[in-house]
Amino acid sequence: MANEIKIGDYIVIQKHNYKKLHKFNKSDSTINLGKDTINLEGLAGCPYFSVFKLIPKSNKKKREFTVELAEEAVKLTDEIDIKVSGNDNRNILDDGRSQKLSAADIETLKTDSNKASDIVETLISNSNTFHNKTEFSQDKYLRKKEKKYFEYFQVLKPNLRIISEIMYKLEPNKIQNLRIDTLSQIITMVNIHCEGNHLLYDSGSNGLVAAALLSAIGENTTGKLVHMHPGNMSQKQALLAMNFPEEQLARCVSVNVYSALRQFYQGCDTNNSAPQEEKTEGTEETSMKRKHEETSEECPSKKSKQDNENEPSENDNTNVPDPPRENKKPKWHFDNIAASEILQNKMDSLVIACKEDPQNIFNELVSFVKPGRPFVIYYNVAEPLQQLYMQLKMQSNVAALKLTCNWMRNYQVLPDRTHPEVTMNASSGFLLSGYVLK
Amino acid sequence: MSFRNYKDKIEEGDTAILYLSNNLYAIDVRPEMKNKKGEIVENVYQTPFGALKVRTLIGANYGSRVELSKGWGHVIQPTPELWSLTLPHRTQIIYTPDISMILLQLDLVPGSIVIEAGTGSGSLTHALIRRVRPHGHVYTFDFHEHRSKVAQEEFQEHGIADFVTAKHRDVLADGFGEELNGKADAVFLDLPSPWIGVPHVLNAIKNQGGRFCSFSPCIEQVQRTCLALQDHGFQEISTMEVLQTEIKITRRTIPVRDLSFLKQKSSVSPVEEKPSSDTNYVVGTWPQSTPGHTGYLTVATLPPPYARSKPKKTTKVENDEKSTENGDKMAVDE
Repeated sequence: MANEIKIGDYIVIQKHNYKKLHKFNKSDSTINLGKDTINLEGLAGCPYFSVFKLIPKSNKKKREFTVELAEEAVKLTDEIDIKVSGNDNRNILDDGRSQKLSAADIETLKTDSNKASDIVETLISNSNTFHNKTEFSQDKYLRKKEKKYFEYFQVLKPNLRIISEIMYKLEPNKIQNLRIDTLSQIITMVNIHCEGNHLLYDSGSNGLVAAALLSAIGENTTGKLVHMHPGNMSQKQALLAMNFPEEQLARCVSVNVYSALRQFYQGCDTNNSAPQEEKTEGTEETSMKRKHEETSEECPSKKSKQDNENEPSENDNTNVPDPPRENKKPKWHFDNIAASEILQNKMDSLVIACKEDPQNIFNELVSFVKPGRPFVIYYNVAEPLQQLYMQLKMQSNVAALKLTCNWMRNYQVLPDRTHPEVTMNASSGFLLSGYVLK
Repeated sequence: MSFRNYKDKIEEGDTAILYLSNNLYAIDVRPEMKNKKGEIVENVYQTPFGALKVRTLIGANYGSRVELSKGWGHVIQPTPELWSLTLPHRTQIIYTPDISMILLQLDLVPGSIVIEAGTGSGSLTHALIRRVRPHGHVYTFDFHEHRSKVAQEEFQEHGIADFVTAKHRDVLADGFGEELNGKADAVFLDLPSPWIGVPHVLNAIKNQGGRFCSFSPCIEQVQRTCLALQDHGFQEISTMEVLQTEIKITRRTIPVRDLSFLKQKSSVSPVEEKPSSDTNYVVGTWPQSTPGHTGYLTVATLPPPYARSKPKKTTKVENDEKSTENGDKMAVDE
C-alpha cells in the first residue's frame, strides 16, 4: 500500500516541531536528531503518521535509541497537572537560587528517569518559584521543557510543502532563500498544470523548483518538464525526496544547458570533432571530459559548427550501423535528444531560478516559449531583475511585466495569547513575471 | 472554452484577455451580442484606445498584437491568475498570492479531491480546478443560490465543468452531504464562522488523512477555528499571512553634489555652490500604498483515525459560549 512506510522511500521524521528528511534505505538505517542517534528498525510496514517512542539503548548518556510503535505522543502539558499558579511576576526574583537541585543532580536525574514527565515534575517540585508563576508562564515553561525532553516522533510522507519547509529552515542559502510562499507563486504564475511542455533553468535550488513543477504536472498526465542546469549533474535532492513514481519522474528531463542547446542548434551534444573515440570511454570519464570542454569553450566557433553540420547528425540516427557503440552512449546523451525534441515543439512556460545574471539566460530561453505564454524569473536580490526589467521594457516583447516581493508572517494562536511569531523570515527573493508576446 | 487546454488560436466562445498598456480586460469572444433591447448586434468592445470589433479576434494567435483605432494591445489566453484580475466580482475574491499558498498548503496535485466553501466569484475555484485536473475533482458550495448558479454556468462556458461540481448548499448547517463522506483529500473554507464547519470537515476527509485550510479576515475567527481544530484531533495547526508587493522600477537621474573642493581656497571666484553632475540608477520603488491585510490562512493536517490525539482536557469557555446555536452539531461528532 502506498500508505505504508517502505524501504527505499524518503521519509520525514517529525520530533516536536522539528522535521527532518531521511532516506529510509535499509530496515535498520539510523538517523541523527540533534545529539541523539536513532535506529529506525521497526518502521518498515507501519502506516505513515505512526508515532514512535524513543527507547534508550543501554546507557542513557550515549544517547542511542531504538524505537517502539506508540499509541500517541504523550504531551507534558497533559501529564503534569499544575494546581497552583500566581497572578503576576512581582515576587519572582531571578537570583539563580530558585532551583534546589544542583546541575549534577539534574544530570543524574536525566540518566535515571525513564519518562520526560518524571524529570520535569521533579524539576518543578524542587523549584521555589514555579508555583508563583502565572498559568501562561507555567505553560510556556512546560512547552519549552517538552521540546527538550520530547520522547516521541512521528513519521510523515514527504510532499512539496514539507520539503520546502525543511529545506528553507535548514539551509536557506542552499535554495537561494526561496521561501514557500514565493515557491507557491512560481507554480501559479506560470500556470503549471497537467498539460504542456514546461521549461526550467535552475542553478541552485537543490531540485526544489523542479520538484514543485513536476508535482503540479502530476501523475499519469501528459505534461513534460525540461529541467536545464549548468553543471555536470542536476541537483536532485528535493526531486528524489518527493518519491515520484517512475512514470512521473521520467517526464522531467534533466539536461546540461550547454549540451541541450548544442544538441538543439547543432544536432550534436558534444563539441568534439571526433566523437567516436570519446564514445568508447566510460560514462563517467566522458562526462568529465564534456565538462572540461564546456568550461573552456563556451561559444563554439563558426568553423566547428559547420564541421558538425557536415557530420551525420546523431539526432536522426535511431538505427546506427554500429549497435555496440550505441549501447555505450550515456543516458545524458539520450536526455539531450529528448529535450531537444521537446524544445522543437515550443514550450508553454518558462521558469528561471538562477545564481547567474538572468539576462542572457532569459534572452536565450525565451525564444523557445510560445507567444501568449507566461514566464517567471526568481532571484534572491532585486537588482539583476531590475536591470532585466528595464531591458525588457525597451524590447517590448513581453506583456504584464511585474516585479514582486513577498512578505510572510506566522502567528502563535493560543487562548488569550495570540500574536505574530517573534521572529519572521524576512528574506524570500523577488519574482519577475510576465507573458511572452509574438 | 479557453480555460481548458492550451490553445494557439482564438476561437469563437473563448474568453480572451486583452492586455492594454498595463491594464487587463477579459473579452467574451462572440461576434454578436444582445443589446439592451434584446436585439442581436455586432459585438464591439470599447477600450480606452478605441473600439474593438470582437469578430476580428477569431482566428488570431494568442500572444499577437491587436490594432485599435488609437493604439494597439495584445491578446493572451486566460489563466486562473489573469482571470482573478479580470473576473466580474460578485463577492470579495481571493487573489493569487493567497491562492498560491492555499494550493500548496492543501498539498493539492493532479488527482486530488478538494472541497471548497463558499464558491463566491469562483476566483479560487478556477485555480483549484487547474491544479487537480484531469483525474481530480473540485466540489464547491455556496449558500447563495443565484451565485452558485452563475458560477456553474461560468464553469460550463469556460469548458471546465467536467472537473467541478458546484452546488447551492449551506454547508455550516447541512455539512457537505453524505456522498462526500470520506472522499476528500483537502477542504478549504472561506466562511464567516469556519469553526462550525470543522466537524463536517472531519467527516469529509479520507480515512488516510488530509489537509484543511481556512481563510479568515479576522483574528477572532482564527482563534475559534484553531481551538475547534485542536479539539477534533488536527495536527500541524498553523496560521500565517502572505502579502505581495509590486515594486515599481524606474531609471532615476540624481544630482551629485561635490564638497571636496572646499578643503582648499579656490582660484576661481565666485565658486558655484550647486550640484556638479548627474548620476544614473535603476531603482525599485516600494509603493506608497500596498495591500496590508487580506486574510489569515489557518492550515492543519487531519491524520488518519489511528494517529489522532484523543482530547484530554476539554477545552474551555470559548466553545461553550458559542454552543447555543451549534453546540448540538459539535456534540454529534465528538
